[in-house]
Amino acid sequence: MNLIHLSLITLLHFLLGKNLSDLSTNGNSKNILWHECPIQKLDRQKLLQQKGCVIWITGLSGSGKSTIACALSRSLHSRGKLTYILDGDNIRHGLNRDLGFKAEDRSENIRRIGEVAKLLADAGIICITSLISPYQKDRDACRALLPKGDFIEVFLDVPLAVCEARDPKGLYKLARAGMIKGFTGIDDPYEPPCSSEIVLKQQQQKGSDCMSPNNAAEKVISYLEKNGYLRA
Amino acid sequence: MSSHSPLIYHHTNTIRFIHPPNFLPGKTIETVSMATLSNATNIFWQDCQLGKPERQKLLNQKGCVVWITGLSGSGKSTLACSLSSELHSRGKLSYILDGDNLRHGLNKDLGFKAEDRTENIRRTGEVAKLFADAGLICVASLISPYRRDRDTCRAMLPDSNFIEVYMNMPLSLCEARDPKGLYKLARAGKIKGFTGIDDPYEPPLNCEIEIKEDSGVCPTPYVMAGKVVSYLEEKGYLEC
Repeated sequence: MNLIHLSLITLLHFLLGKNLSDLSTNGNSKNILWHECPIQKLDRQKLLQQKGCVIWITGLSGSGKSTIACALSRSLHSRGKLTYILDGDNIRHGLNRDLGFKAEDRSENIRRIGEVAKLLADAGIICITSLISPYQKDRDACRALLPKGDFIEVFLDVPLAVCEARDPKGLYKLARAGMIKGFTGIDDPYEPPCSSEIVLKQQQQKGSDCMSPNNAAEKVISYLEKNGYLRA
Repeated sequence: MSSHSPLIYHHTNTIRFIHPPNFLPGKTIETVSMATLSNATNIFWQDCQLGKPERQKLLNQKGCVVWITGLSGSGKSTLACSLSSELHSRGKLSYILDGDNLRHGLNKDLGFKAEDRTENIRRTGEVAKLFADAGLICVASLISPYRRDRDTCRAMLPDSNFIEVYMNMPLSLCEARDPKGLYKLARAGKIKGFTGIDDPYEPPLNCEIEIKEDSGVCPTPYVMAGKVVSYLEEKGYLEC
Protein backbone atom coordinates (compact mmCIF):
# COMPACT_ATOMS: atom_id res chain seq x y z
CA MET A 1 0.00 0.00 0.00
CA ASN A 2 1.61 3.32 -1.00
CA LEU A 3 1.86 6.52 0.96
CA ILE A 4 -1.09 8.16 -0.82
CA HIS A 5 -3.40 5.26 0.00
CA LEU A 6 -2.23 5.23 3.58
CA SER A 7 -2.84 8.98 3.91
CA LEU A 8 -6.32 8.68 2.40
CA ILE A 9 -7.27 5.90 4.77
CA THR A 10 -5.89 7.79 7.76
CA LEU A 11 -7.96 10.81 6.71
CA LEU A 12 -11.08 8.69 6.24
CA HIS A 13 -10.64 7.11 9.65
CA PHE A 14 -10.12 10.55 11.20
CA LEU A 15 -13.31 11.84 9.55
CA LEU A 16 -15.23 8.78 10.68
CA GLY A 17 -13.97 9.27 14.21
CA LYS A 18 -12.42 5.82 14.06
CA ASN A 19 -9.20 4.90 15.75
CA LEU A 20 -6.85 3.09 13.39
CA SER A 21 -6.14 0.58 16.12
CA ASP A 22 -9.82 -0.48 16.08
CA LEU A 23 -9.19 -2.35 12.90
CA SER A 24 -6.23 -4.63 12.87
CA THR A 25 -4.34 -6.54 10.30
CA ASN A 26 -3.63 -10.09 11.29
CA GLY A 27 -1.55 -12.14 8.93
CA ASN A 28 -3.58 -12.22 5.74
CA SER A 29 -6.73 -10.67 7.15
CA LYS A 30 -7.27 -6.95 7.17
CA ASN A 31 -10.11 -4.99 8.73
CA ILE A 32 -10.64 -7.47 11.53
CA LEU A 33 -12.24 -6.16 14.70
CA TRP A 34 -12.00 -7.99 18.01
CA HIS A 35 -15.48 -8.48 19.45
CA GLU A 36 -15.91 -8.46 23.25
CA CYS A 37 -18.87 -10.07 24.96
CA PRO A 38 -20.44 -9.77 28.42
CA ILE A 39 -20.13 -13.49 29.15
CA GLN A 40 -16.47 -14.26 29.72
CA LYS A 41 -14.34 -17.22 30.76
CA LEU A 42 -14.80 -16.52 34.48
CA ASP A 43 -18.58 -16.70 34.09
CA ARG A 44 -18.40 -20.02 32.31
CA GLN A 45 -15.98 -21.41 34.88
CA LYS A 46 -18.36 -20.41 37.65
CA LEU A 47 -21.18 -22.23 35.86
CA LEU A 48 -19.04 -25.36 35.45
CA GLN A 49 -17.26 -25.16 38.84
CA GLN A 50 -13.89 -25.78 37.25
CA LYS A 51 -11.15 -23.88 35.44
CA GLY A 52 -10.51 -24.32 31.75
CA CYS A 53 -7.08 -25.61 30.80
CA VAL A 54 -5.25 -27.81 28.32
CA ILE A 55 -3.71 -31.12 29.30
CA TRP A 56 -1.26 -31.81 26.51
CA ILE A 57 -0.29 -35.48 26.43
CA THR A 58 2.80 -36.15 24.34
CA GLY A 59 4.77 -39.32 23.63
CA LEU A 60 5.69 -41.95 21.06
CA SER A 61 3.10 -43.90 19.13
CA GLY A 62 1.93 -46.72 21.38
CA SER A 63 3.02 -44.99 24.59
CA GLY A 64 -0.60 -44.91 25.80
CA LYS A 65 -1.71 -41.35 25.12
CA SER A 66 -5.25 -42.16 23.93
CA THR A 67 -5.70 -44.75 26.66
CA ILE A 68 -4.71 -42.33 29.40
CA ALA A 69 -6.77 -39.52 27.81
CA CYS A 70 -9.86 -41.73 28.03
CA ALA A 71 -9.16 -42.84 31.60
CA LEU A 72 -8.58 -39.24 32.65
CA SER A 73 -11.74 -38.07 30.94
CA ARG A 74 -13.85 -40.77 32.63
CA SER A 75 -12.35 -40.09 36.02
CA LEU A 76 -12.96 -36.34 35.76
CA HIS A 77 -16.50 -36.95 34.51
CA SER A 78 -17.22 -39.07 37.58
CA ARG A 79 -16.22 -36.00 39.61
CA GLY A 80 -18.72 -33.88 37.66
CA LYS A 81 -16.12 -32.12 35.53
CA LEU A 82 -16.52 -31.35 31.84
CA THR A 83 -13.69 -32.52 29.61
CA TYR A 84 -13.14 -32.94 25.92
CA ILE A 85 -10.50 -35.00 24.12
CA LEU A 86 -8.77 -33.75 20.99
CA ASP A 87 -7.15 -36.90 19.66
CA GLY A 88 -4.56 -36.38 16.91
CA ASP A 89 -5.94 -39.22 14.82
CA ASN A 90 -9.58 -38.12 15.19
CA ILE A 91 -8.85 -34.50 14.31
CA ARG A 92 -7.14 -35.71 11.14
CA HIS A 93 -10.54 -37.08 10.07
CA GLY A 94 -12.13 -33.63 10.26
CA LEU A 95 -10.52 -30.25 10.80
CA ASN A 96 -7.07 -31.46 9.72
CA ARG A 97 -8.06 -33.87 6.98
CA ASP A 98 -6.22 -31.71 4.44
CA LEU A 99 -2.88 -32.32 6.20
CA GLY A 100 -0.32 -35.11 5.77
CA PHE A 101 2.80 -36.04 7.73
CA LYS A 102 5.56 -33.98 6.18
CA ALA A 103 7.21 -31.61 8.63
CA GLU A 104 5.21 -28.49 7.75
CA ASP A 105 1.94 -30.43 7.88
CA ARG A 106 2.83 -31.84 11.32
CA SER A 107 3.51 -28.28 12.47
CA GLU A 108 0.23 -27.01 11.06
CA ASN A 109 -1.62 -30.00 12.59
CA ILE A 110 -0.28 -29.10 15.99
CA ARG A 111 -0.82 -25.36 15.52
CA ARG A 112 -4.50 -25.86 14.69
CA ILE A 113 -5.03 -28.28 17.55
CA GLY A 114 -3.35 -25.80 19.89
CA GLU A 115 -5.70 -23.04 18.72
CA VAL A 116 -8.78 -25.25 19.16
CA ALA A 117 -7.58 -26.39 22.59
CA LYS A 118 -7.21 -22.71 23.51
CA LEU A 119 -10.84 -22.08 22.49
CA LEU A 120 -12.08 -25.08 24.49
CA ALA A 121 -10.13 -23.94 27.55
CA ASP A 122 -11.59 -20.45 27.11
CA ALA A 123 -15.02 -22.10 27.10
CA GLY A 124 -14.16 -23.45 30.58
CA ILE A 125 -13.52 -27.01 29.45
CA ILE A 126 -10.64 -29.22 30.63
CA CYS A 127 -9.32 -30.01 27.17
CA ILE A 128 -7.18 -33.14 26.85
CA THR A 129 -5.04 -33.37 23.75
CA SER A 130 -3.52 -36.67 22.75
CA LEU A 131 -1.04 -36.53 19.91
CA ILE A 132 2.57 -37.55 19.35
CA SER A 133 3.60 -33.86 18.86
CA PRO A 134 7.23 -34.80 18.42
CA TYR A 135 8.85 -31.36 18.00
CA GLN A 136 9.63 -29.18 21.01
CA LYS A 137 9.17 -25.96 19.02
CA ASP A 138 5.61 -26.85 18.09
CA ARG A 139 4.63 -27.84 21.64
CA ASP A 140 6.16 -24.61 22.95
CA ALA A 141 4.18 -22.60 20.41
CA CYS A 142 0.97 -24.13 21.79
CA ARG A 143 2.07 -23.44 25.35
CA ALA A 144 2.54 -19.78 24.40
CA LEU A 145 -1.11 -19.53 23.28
CA LEU A 146 -2.41 -20.03 26.80
CA PRO A 147 -2.21 -18.04 30.01
CA LYS A 148 0.61 -19.18 32.30
CA GLY A 149 -0.25 -22.39 34.10
CA ASP A 150 -3.17 -23.34 31.86
CA PHE A 151 -1.01 -25.47 29.56
CA ILE A 152 -0.22 -28.69 31.41
CA GLU A 153 2.22 -30.86 29.51
CA VAL A 154 2.13 -34.57 30.33
CA PHE A 155 5.08 -36.53 28.97
CA LEU A 156 4.51 -40.27 28.58
CA ASP A 157 8.08 -41.40 29.04
CA VAL A 158 7.81 -44.93 27.69
CA PRO A 159 10.86 -46.59 26.07
CA LEU A 160 10.70 -47.19 22.34
CA ALA A 161 11.10 -50.93 22.92
CA VAL A 162 7.96 -51.03 25.06
CA CYS A 163 5.94 -49.00 22.52
CA GLU A 164 7.19 -51.19 19.71
CA ALA A 165 6.33 -54.38 21.59
CA ARG A 166 2.78 -53.10 22.03
CA ASP A 167 2.51 -51.80 18.44
CA PRO A 168 -1.29 -51.37 18.79
CA LYS A 169 -1.78 -50.22 15.21
CA GLY A 170 0.88 -52.40 13.56
CA LEU A 171 2.80 -49.32 12.49
CA TYR A 172 6.20 -50.14 13.99
CA LYS A 173 6.20 -53.41 12.03
CA LEU A 174 5.50 -51.52 8.85
CA ALA A 175 8.08 -48.85 9.66
CA ARG A 176 10.80 -51.44 10.39
CA ALA A 177 9.96 -53.15 7.11
CA GLY A 178 10.45 -49.81 5.35
CA MET A 179 6.79 -49.67 4.39
CA ILE A 180 6.28 -46.37 6.22
CA LYS A 181 8.81 -43.57 5.94
CA GLY A 182 9.27 -40.78 8.45
CA PHE A 183 7.71 -42.66 11.34
CA THR A 184 8.39 -41.07 14.72
CA GLY A 185 10.88 -43.03 16.79
CA ILE A 186 12.14 -45.07 13.85
CA ASP A 187 13.23 -42.65 11.16
CA ASP A 188 11.84 -39.37 12.45
CA PRO A 189 12.87 -37.81 15.74
CA TYR A 190 10.90 -37.49 18.94
CA GLU A 191 12.17 -34.56 20.99
CA PRO A 192 11.32 -35.31 24.63
CA PRO A 193 10.15 -32.35 26.69
CA CYS A 194 12.69 -30.78 29.05
CA SER A 195 10.25 -29.47 31.62
CA SER A 196 6.81 -30.99 31.50
CA GLU A 197 4.46 -30.33 34.37
CA ILE A 198 3.89 -34.08 34.71
CA VAL A 199 6.05 -37.03 33.64
CA LEU A 200 4.53 -40.50 33.55
CA LYS A 201 7.47 -42.85 33.45
CA GLN A 202 7.44 -46.47 32.39
CA GLN A 203 10.38 -48.52 33.55
CA GLN A 204 12.13 -50.80 31.13
CA GLN A 205 12.77 -53.63 33.61
CA LYS A 206 11.21 -56.91 32.72
CA GLY A 207 8.33 -57.83 34.99
CA SER A 208 7.76 -54.31 36.25
CA ASP A 209 4.17 -53.26 35.85
CA CYS A 210 3.27 -50.47 33.56
CA MET A 211 1.61 -47.60 35.41
CA SER A 212 -2.04 -48.39 34.83
CA PRO A 213 -4.15 -45.86 32.93
CA ASN A 214 -6.20 -45.23 36.07
CA ASN A 215 -3.11 -44.58 38.20
CA ALA A 216 -1.78 -42.27 35.50
CA ALA A 217 -5.12 -40.45 35.44
CA GLU A 218 -5.08 -40.04 39.22
CA LYS A 219 -1.62 -38.49 39.06
CA VAL A 220 -2.91 -35.89 36.62
CA ILE A 221 -6.05 -35.29 38.68
CA SER A 222 -3.95 -34.69 41.82
CA TYR A 223 -2.04 -32.04 39.91
CA LEU A 224 -5.27 -30.40 38.72
CA GLU A 225 -6.74 -30.46 42.22
CA LYS A 226 -3.60 -29.08 43.82
CA ASN A 227 -3.48 -26.24 41.29
CA GLY A 228 -7.13 -25.28 41.65
CA TYR A 229 -8.49 -26.45 38.31
CA LEU A 230 -11.25 -28.57 39.82
CA ARG A 231 -13.06 -25.60 41.30
CA ALA A 232 -14.12 -22.20 39.94
CA MET B 1 -9.59 -56.37 14.80
CA SER B 2 -7.83 -57.74 17.88
CA SER B 3 -10.19 -58.59 20.72
CA HIS B 4 -8.02 -56.83 23.29
CA SER B 5 -7.74 -53.61 21.35
CA PRO B 6 -10.19 -50.82 22.01
CA LEU B 7 -9.39 -49.24 18.66
CA ILE B 8 -11.69 -49.12 15.70
CA TYR B 9 -10.04 -49.28 12.30
CA HIS B 10 -11.51 -46.73 9.93
CA HIS B 11 -11.46 -47.17 6.20
CA THR B 12 -11.83 -44.30 3.75
CA ASN B 13 -10.92 -44.00 0.13
CA THR B 14 -7.83 -41.98 0.99
CA ILE B 15 -6.56 -44.45 3.57
CA ARG B 16 -5.16 -47.74 2.58
CA PHE B 17 -6.61 -50.38 4.87
CA ILE B 18 -3.74 -51.82 6.79
CA HIS B 19 -3.86 -55.08 8.68
CA PRO B 20 -0.90 -56.34 10.63
CA PRO B 21 0.11 -59.54 8.83
CA ASN B 22 -0.61 -61.84 11.79
CA PHE B 23 -4.27 -60.76 11.93
CA LEU B 24 -5.12 -61.33 8.31
CA PRO B 25 -2.65 -63.63 6.59
CA GLY B 26 -2.43 -63.17 2.90
CA LYS B 27 -3.56 -59.53 2.98
CA THR B 28 -1.29 -57.47 0.81
CA ILE B 29 0.15 -54.32 2.26
CA GLU B 30 0.90 -51.52 -0.14
CA THR B 31 3.94 -49.39 0.34
CA VAL B 32 2.95 -46.11 1.87
CA SER B 33 5.00 -43.15 2.88
CA MET B 34 3.63 -40.99 5.62
CA ALA B 35 5.91 -38.14 4.63
CA THR B 36 4.99 -37.89 0.97
CA LEU B 37 1.26 -38.47 0.60
CA SER B 38 -0.87 -35.36 0.67
CA ASN B 39 -3.54 -36.97 2.78
CA ALA B 40 -2.84 -38.81 5.98
CA THR B 41 -2.61 -42.58 6.00
CA ASN B 42 -2.27 -44.91 8.96
CA ILE B 43 -4.92 -42.99 10.84
CA PHE B 44 -7.16 -44.96 13.12
CA TRP B 45 -10.31 -43.78 14.79
CA GLN B 46 -9.77 -43.66 18.55
CA ASP B 47 -12.89 -44.67 20.43
CA CYS B 48 -13.63 -43.57 23.98
CA GLN B 49 -16.52 -44.74 26.10
CA LEU B 50 -17.33 -41.28 27.40
CA GLY B 51 -19.37 -39.55 24.71
CA LYS B 52 -21.76 -36.76 23.89
CA PRO B 53 -24.76 -38.23 25.78
CA GLU B 54 -22.76 -38.30 29.04
CA ARG B 55 -21.56 -34.73 28.61
CA GLN B 56 -25.05 -33.53 27.76
CA LYS B 57 -26.38 -35.17 30.91
CA LEU B 58 -23.72 -33.38 32.95
CA LEU B 59 -24.64 -30.02 31.38
CA ASN B 60 -28.39 -30.64 31.20
CA GLN B 61 -28.60 -29.41 27.63
CA LYS B 62 -28.03 -30.72 24.10
CA GLY B 63 -25.06 -29.69 22.02
CA CYS B 64 -25.79 -27.93 18.75
CA VAL B 65 -24.55 -25.20 16.43
CA VAL B 66 -26.40 -21.92 16.02
CA TRP B 67 -24.98 -20.53 12.78
CA ILE B 68 -25.65 -16.80 12.38
CA THR B 69 -25.20 -15.53 8.82
CA GLY B 70 -25.73 -12.14 7.24
CA LEU B 71 -24.11 -9.02 5.80
CA SER B 72 -21.45 -7.10 7.63
CA GLY B 73 -23.25 -4.81 10.09
CA SER B 74 -26.44 -6.90 10.12
CA GLY B 75 -26.03 -7.57 13.85
CA LYS B 76 -24.54 -11.06 13.96
CA SER B 77 -22.03 -10.45 16.74
CA THR B 78 -24.60 -8.42 18.67
CA LEU B 79 -27.09 -11.29 18.51
CA ALA B 80 -24.38 -13.82 19.39
CA CYS B 81 -23.52 -11.87 22.55
CA SER B 82 -27.12 -11.32 23.67
CA LEU B 83 -27.95 -14.98 22.96
CA SER B 84 -24.96 -16.09 25.00
CA SER B 85 -26.08 -13.86 27.90
CA GLU B 86 -29.62 -15.19 27.79
CA LEU B 87 -28.46 -18.77 27.74
CA HIS B 88 -26.02 -18.15 30.59
CA SER B 89 -28.78 -16.65 32.71
CA ARG B 90 -30.64 -19.94 32.20
CA GLY B 91 -27.60 -21.92 33.35
CA LYS B 92 -26.72 -23.12 29.84
CA LEU B 93 -23.18 -23.31 28.54
CA SER B 94 -22.56 -21.68 25.18
CA TYR B 95 -19.53 -20.46 23.30
CA ILE B 96 -19.20 -17.95 20.49
CA LEU B 97 -17.06 -18.60 17.44
CA ASP B 98 -16.85 -15.14 15.91
CA GLY B 99 -15.47 -14.93 12.37
CA ASP B 100 -13.29 -11.95 13.20
CA ASN B 101 -11.97 -13.48 16.46
CA LEU B 102 -11.10 -16.75 14.76
CA ARG B 103 -9.12 -14.81 12.16
CA HIS B 104 -6.87 -13.71 15.04
CA GLY B 105 -6.01 -17.31 15.91
CA LEU B 106 -6.91 -20.54 14.16
CA ASN B 107 -7.58 -18.82 10.83
CA LYS B 108 -4.88 -16.18 10.95
CA ASP B 109 -3.24 -17.68 7.87
CA LEU B 110 -6.34 -17.01 5.74
CA GLY B 111 -7.32 -13.93 3.73
CA PHE B 112 -10.56 -12.98 1.96
CA LYS B 113 -10.20 -14.47 -1.50
CA ALA B 114 -12.88 -17.03 -2.34
CA GLU B 115 -10.90 -20.15 -1.47
CA ASP B 116 -9.76 -18.63 1.83
CA ARG B 117 -13.36 -17.74 2.73
CA THR B 118 -14.33 -21.34 1.98
CA GLU B 119 -11.52 -22.70 4.15
CA ASN B 120 -12.37 -20.20 6.92
CA ILE B 121 -15.91 -21.50 6.97
CA ARG B 122 -14.88 -25.13 6.69
CA ARG B 123 -12.56 -24.86 9.68
CA THR B 124 -15.15 -22.92 11.67
CA GLY B 125 -17.71 -25.62 10.87
CA GLU B 126 -15.35 -28.37 12.02
CA VAL B 127 -14.60 -26.56 15.26
CA ALA B 128 -18.28 -25.84 15.86
CA LYS B 129 -18.92 -29.55 15.39
CA LEU B 130 -16.35 -30.34 18.11
CA PHE B 131 -17.98 -27.85 20.48
CA ALA B 132 -21.42 -29.32 19.82
CA ASP B 133 -19.98 -32.78 20.44
CA ALA B 134 -18.59 -31.46 23.73
CA GLY B 135 -22.21 -30.66 24.65
CA LEU B 136 -22.09 -26.89 24.20
CA ILE B 137 -24.48 -24.62 22.36
CA CYS B 138 -21.94 -23.25 19.92
CA VAL B 139 -22.86 -19.90 18.37
CA ALA B 140 -21.01 -19.25 15.12
CA SER B 141 -21.15 -15.69 13.84
CA LEU B 142 -19.73 -15.15 10.36
CA ILE B 143 -20.86 -13.43 7.18
CA SER B 144 -20.50 -16.88 5.47
CA PRO B 145 -21.81 -15.48 2.20
CA TYR B 146 -21.84 -18.59 0.03
CA ARG B 147 -24.69 -21.05 0.30
CA ARG B 148 -22.56 -24.04 -0.63
CA ASP B 149 -20.13 -23.39 2.22
CA ARG B 150 -22.90 -23.05 4.81
CA ASP B 151 -24.51 -26.24 3.51
CA THR B 152 -21.18 -28.03 3.87
CA CYS B 153 -21.18 -27.09 7.56
CA ARG B 154 -24.79 -28.21 7.93
CA ALA B 155 -23.82 -31.59 6.50
CA MET B 156 -21.08 -31.96 9.13
CA LEU B 157 -23.67 -32.13 11.90
CA PRO B 158 -26.01 -35.04 12.32
CA ASP B 159 -29.54 -35.03 13.70
CA SER B 160 -30.48 -31.51 12.62
CA ASN B 161 -28.16 -30.00 15.19
CA PHE B 162 -27.32 -27.16 12.79
CA ILE B 163 -29.58 -24.17 13.34
CA GLU B 164 -29.14 -21.49 10.68
CA VAL B 165 -30.13 -17.97 11.73
CA TYR B 166 -30.37 -15.49 8.87
CA MET B 167 -29.94 -11.83 9.80
CA ASN B 168 -32.10 -10.50 6.98
CA MET B 169 -31.29 -6.81 7.25
CA PRO B 170 -31.32 -4.56 4.19
CA LEU B 171 -27.97 -3.50 2.78
CA SER B 172 -28.97 0.14 3.30
CA LEU B 173 -29.42 -0.43 7.04
CA CYS B 174 -26.11 -2.29 7.37
CA GLU B 175 -24.36 0.42 5.38
CA ALA B 176 -25.94 3.18 7.48
CA ARG B 177 -24.65 1.46 10.62
CA ASP B 178 -21.23 0.70 9.12
CA PRO B 179 -19.86 -0.23 12.56
CA LYS B 180 -16.33 -0.85 11.31
CA GLY B 181 -16.21 1.82 8.59
CA LEU B 182 -15.84 -0.88 5.96
CA TYR B 183 -18.71 0.06 3.67
CA LYS B 184 -17.23 3.54 3.29
CA LEU B 185 -13.88 2.05 2.38
CA ALA B 186 -15.53 -0.42 0.01
CA ARG B 187 -17.55 2.32 -1.74
CA ALA B 188 -14.35 4.34 -2.09
CA GLY B 189 -12.77 1.32 -3.78
CA LYS B 190 -10.24 0.86 -0.97
CA ILE B 191 -11.47 -2.64 -0.21
CA LYS B 192 -12.12 -5.03 -3.06
CA GLY B 193 -14.44 -8.02 -2.90
CA PHE B 194 -16.46 -6.71 0.03
CA THR B 195 -19.66 -8.67 0.60
CA GLY B 196 -22.74 -6.74 -0.42
CA ILE B 197 -20.79 -4.20 -2.48
CA ASP B 198 -18.68 -6.11 -4.97
CA ASP B 199 -18.98 -9.67 -3.72
CA PRO B 200 -22.25 -11.56 -3.48
CA TYR B 201 -24.21 -12.57 -0.43
CA GLU B 202 -26.36 -15.64 -1.13
CA PRO B 203 -29.29 -15.66 1.32
CA PRO B 204 -30.29 -18.99 2.84
CA LEU B 205 -33.19 -20.80 1.20
CA ASN B 206 -34.19 -22.91 4.21
CA CYS B 207 -32.92 -21.39 7.38
CA GLU B 208 -34.42 -22.41 10.73
CA ILE B 209 -34.76 -18.83 11.98
CA GLU B 210 -34.98 -15.55 10.10
CA ILE B 211 -34.50 -12.24 11.90
CA LYS B 212 -35.81 -9.23 10.02
CA GLU B 213 -37.22 -5.77 10.51
CA ASP B 214 -40.69 -5.49 11.93
CA SER B 215 -42.53 -2.67 10.12
CA GLY B 216 -39.19 -1.13 9.23
CA VAL B 217 -37.84 -1.38 12.78
CA CYS B 218 -35.02 -3.72 13.73
CA PRO B 219 -35.80 -5.89 16.79
CA THR B 220 -33.69 -5.26 19.87
CA PRO B 221 -30.85 -7.67 20.72
CA TYR B 222 -32.95 -8.94 23.63
CA VAL B 223 -35.93 -9.71 21.40
CA MET B 224 -33.73 -11.36 18.77
CA ALA B 225 -32.07 -13.53 21.39
CA GLY B 226 -35.49 -14.44 22.76
CA LYS B 227 -36.57 -15.73 19.36
CA VAL B 228 -33.57 -18.05 19.18
CA VAL B 229 -33.92 -19.20 22.79
CA SER B 230 -37.61 -20.05 22.18
CA TYR B 231 -36.62 -22.12 19.20
CA LEU B 232 -33.95 -23.97 21.19
CA GLU B 233 -36.39 -24.58 24.03
CA GLU B 234 -39.07 -25.84 21.68
CA LYS B 235 -36.69 -28.28 20.03
CA GLY B 236 -35.43 -29.62 23.35
CA TYR B 237 -31.89 -28.23 23.35
CA LEU B 238 -32.23 -26.61 26.79
CA GLU B 239 -32.68 -29.89 28.59
CA CYS B 240 -31.12 -33.29 28.40
